[in-house]
Amino acid sequence: MRLNGIEIDNVPAELHGMRLLDYLRTERGLTGAKEGCGMGECGSCTVVIDGAAVTSCLVLVGQVLDAEIRTVEGLADAGHGPLQRAFVARQAVQCGYCIPGVLNSCAALLDRVPDPDDEQIRTALDGNLCRCTAYNRFYDAVHDAACERRTDQAGQA
Amino acid sequence: MTIPQTWVGRSRPSVDAGEIVTGALEYVTDRFPDGVLHGAVLRSAVPHARIDRIDVTAARSLPGVHCVLVADDVPVNALGPREVDGPVLAETCVRQVGEAIALVAADDEDTARRALATIELELAPLPVVDSPTAAAAPDAPQLHPTGNVSGRISFSSGDVEQAIAPAVLVLRRNVTTPSQEHVAIDTPGGVAAVEDGVVTIWCGSQNPGLHQRKVARALEIDIADVRMIANPVGGAFGSRNDDPMPVYLALLARATGRPVRVHMTREETMAAGAKRHPFWTSIAIGFDATGRILGSSVRAVADTGPVITSGPNVMKTSGEMSTGPYRFPVASFDGTVYYTNNANAGAFRGYGVPQVAFAIENAVTEAAHTLGLDPMQMRIDNALRGGEPHSLYRHRVTDSLAVRATLEQAAVHPLWTDRVSWQAQAAWPWRRGTGVATAIKGVGMGSGTGDAARARLEIDGDGHVTIWAGPNHTGQSIQTTYGQVAADVLQIPIEQIDVRVGDTGVVPESGPTAASRSTYAGGNAVRMVCDELVRRCSELELPLQLDPEGTGTKLVELGEATYEQTFVLPDTDDIGLVPPEDLAKYGPHRVYGACTQAVRVELNTLTGELRVPELLCVVDCGTAINPAAMIGQAEGGILQGLGLAIMEEHRLEGGVPVTTSLENYLIPTISDTPVMHVEMVDSTEDSGPFGAKGMSEVVVVPTPPAVAAAVMDAVGVLPQTLPLTPERVLSLLEEA
Repeated sequence: MRLNGIEIDNVPAELHGMRLLDYLRTERGLTGAKEGCGMGECGSCTVVIDGAAVTSCLVLVGQVLDAEIRTVEGLADAGHGPLQRAFVARQAVQCGYCIPGVLNSCAALLDRVPDPDDEQIRTALDGNLCRCTAYNRFYDAVHDAACERRTDQAGQA
Repeated sequence: MTIPQTWVGRSRPSVDAGEIVTGALEYVTDRFPDGVLHGAVLRSAVPHARIDRIDVTAARSLPGVHCVLVADDVPVNALGPREVDGPVLAETCVRQVGEAIALVAADDEDTARRALATIELELAPLPVVDSPTAAAAPDAPQLHPTGNVSGRISFSSGDVEQAIAPAVLVLRRNVTTPSQEHVAIDTPGGVAAVEDGVVTIWCGSQNPGLHQRKVARALEIDIADVRMIANPVGGAFGSRNDDPMPVYLALLARATGRPVRVHMTREETMAAGAKRHPFWTSIAIGFDATGRILGSSVRAVADTGPVITSGPNVMKTSGEMSTGPYRFPVASFDGTVYYTNNANAGAFRGYGVPQVAFAIENAVTEAAHTLGLDPMQMRIDNALRGGEPHSLYRHRVTDSLAVRATLEQAAVHPLWTDRVSWQAQAAWPWRRGTGVATAIKGVGMGSGTGDAARARLEIDGDGHVTIWAGPNHTGQSIQTTYGQVAADVLQIPIEQIDVRVGDTGVVPESGPTAASRSTYAGGNAVRMVCDELVRRCSELELPLQLDPEGTGTKLVELGEATYEQTFVLPDTDDIGLVPPEDLAKYGPHRVYGACTQAVRVELNTLTGELRVPELLCVVDCGTAINPAAMIGQAEGGILQGLGLAIMEEHRLEGGVPVTTSLENYLIPTISDTPVMHVEMVDSTEDSGPFGAKGMSEVVVVPTPPAVAAAVMDAVGVLPQTLPLTPERVLSLLEEA
């Protein structure tokens, strides 16, 4: 698998039956992925697998040996620094426990749809539970990030 | 001298936000120290049974298992000083589904869970007390030697029936509000380790000092040998007041001599975690022809489950808030909390207020409708004003109380003023309505309770200031708020100040993150300790602002670099009818925050579906030290109130939970969330830091009755039972 851009060969067979979430947290030290329910309901463990936002508690390591996986720790290198900064600037985080999953859902959306509308953001985040905020600032942060990425790209062109 | 405010009043991202968005912030449940063992908890699957035998022989001999603990292995098997606080581990009987019976630590989580499965348990079923009614029955099984009544509080300021005799309208109504689960997204857990005789526990807590004492009691060790590090943690909302997890962790670490980690599953948390108390509330209230309240009498019954946790204290708050945000001459309250074999109930944001507020706000809504009055104006006319006597205890409330201003501001908002035209635009099968409700809630633990918060400050030779203060943060970014207060008092850049919270090893005891007291009480302690440094610098003619390094160096040389101050919550100036010797029993507040909400609902008359597209919230919080953080707290609180209003109910049948996970206990998602307009009114609390007071709980309170009022506006029937699931809405439509 490729994990945050790094090739990982020869994942030992005894780990193939492990939940991807546990593999990330205990074998790779990537504790940004959080467990909130263990049954794909809360979205806190969401990572990006081959471009799609997926709850890593429902995936076994053996299923993703050939996949490209990105966690919250790999967001900045994947060009999502603007998204991270927007969540900070918009004060869109409180306890923060759901935020890695939320960011991965947003990043997967932005990779697919560079300038999403509110309906697309809502659909992308419908599987991420947050109990502290009321989600509203997530829209603003995604719009800010889309705008910054657009401006950056225009600057580079 | 008026201090120019540079930081207070400006929105500022929380100090840990940068680490949150990169995944770098290490929550207490993210710790995997070298050599860590994994713990698990054996829990009761039945609501009430006698324990005849527990055999852990097989579990103890399982390879990879390091310890198996049962009640006999706990030095002092008690979660508190009273029998009703309950045991750490069940000894003679189990009294709820999810009650802890044994603890295991093993090399890995799978082994720990396999060990649990090998424990042989012989249980003899006992009759289940599945409601307060069952608990009160003359032949009910007694759940404690003291009986099935956990607490009772009653008070009367006069003869209510006489006061309402001349009323043109008397309403006698019963309302029901459900048990609600906190659903902090991080389930209880953490790590404990023993080193040099000191047990350190990294585990979320809203009251690290209390948990430190609980651990010391159970392990029979000195308090000084227990250190609680209570953050970062993924949410709380009241659930980390009563959580026994720190005790489990400490027991396992001491028994094994190794660091031990436990992280409860969601299903465990749903069964065992404390809930919001379900209430059955009745009100008798009289109005004159102009809509003035003449008197009210409220009776409330709550189910606290098998152990006391916060039961009677919740009911105490219900009593004080049973008169709502209104002023009228005569009131009475009578509240009883029962033990049952249902889920234990404890602290939950709002703490007994949403339940009684639903009764009084519904009554005001119905009265306005029946008397042909405007529900907003009727509330304005009845609003309790600053400096007036409280309607039940007749104590004096703070001058800053601005209920009326929140109502007046809501009254001119387009969401309210356009309600008739908005309603007319509904298209079949949808109907539309707009409702309003308002509330107050006390700030701090109340008069006579000795509520105190402390702050310690140290300046170093670089002029850098560190402040250790409480209460702890569980997502409120309270350190940021404290930093803003400190920077404005000290008049130095905020980057020069570090704030630490939530670690009993270094933070002076400051009480719980509860009762909307963190900004008010903790902020005041920070203000005071900073004032002390400023005063000393002034006496020594040290230029703190111009030359922080020189000042710091000099103070270190003089041995005057450290300061500590205690803020004690001020009692109300006039305690009214409360007997002085009973002040703490009733705990009337001096300071209150207030909140008015107006809500739009759309209701599908075929399916019963209820949507809340837009909501207005006007808050009286005094000065907002970090306005965007305040609005964030308001929005999150509203959404929890909305969950209580339309979808959340922890249900049990015969003491057995029916809602067991996030598959069958639903909380609002982004798709359920309305557009929210949060506004503030101009108010200043003289006793608060820079004029601030607390607001994070009161915002939960008006949402359910405002939704109920909007439903009545839409379909002509006022709901008296929450939550308003589609099934309930359809039954209401049958009444319409």
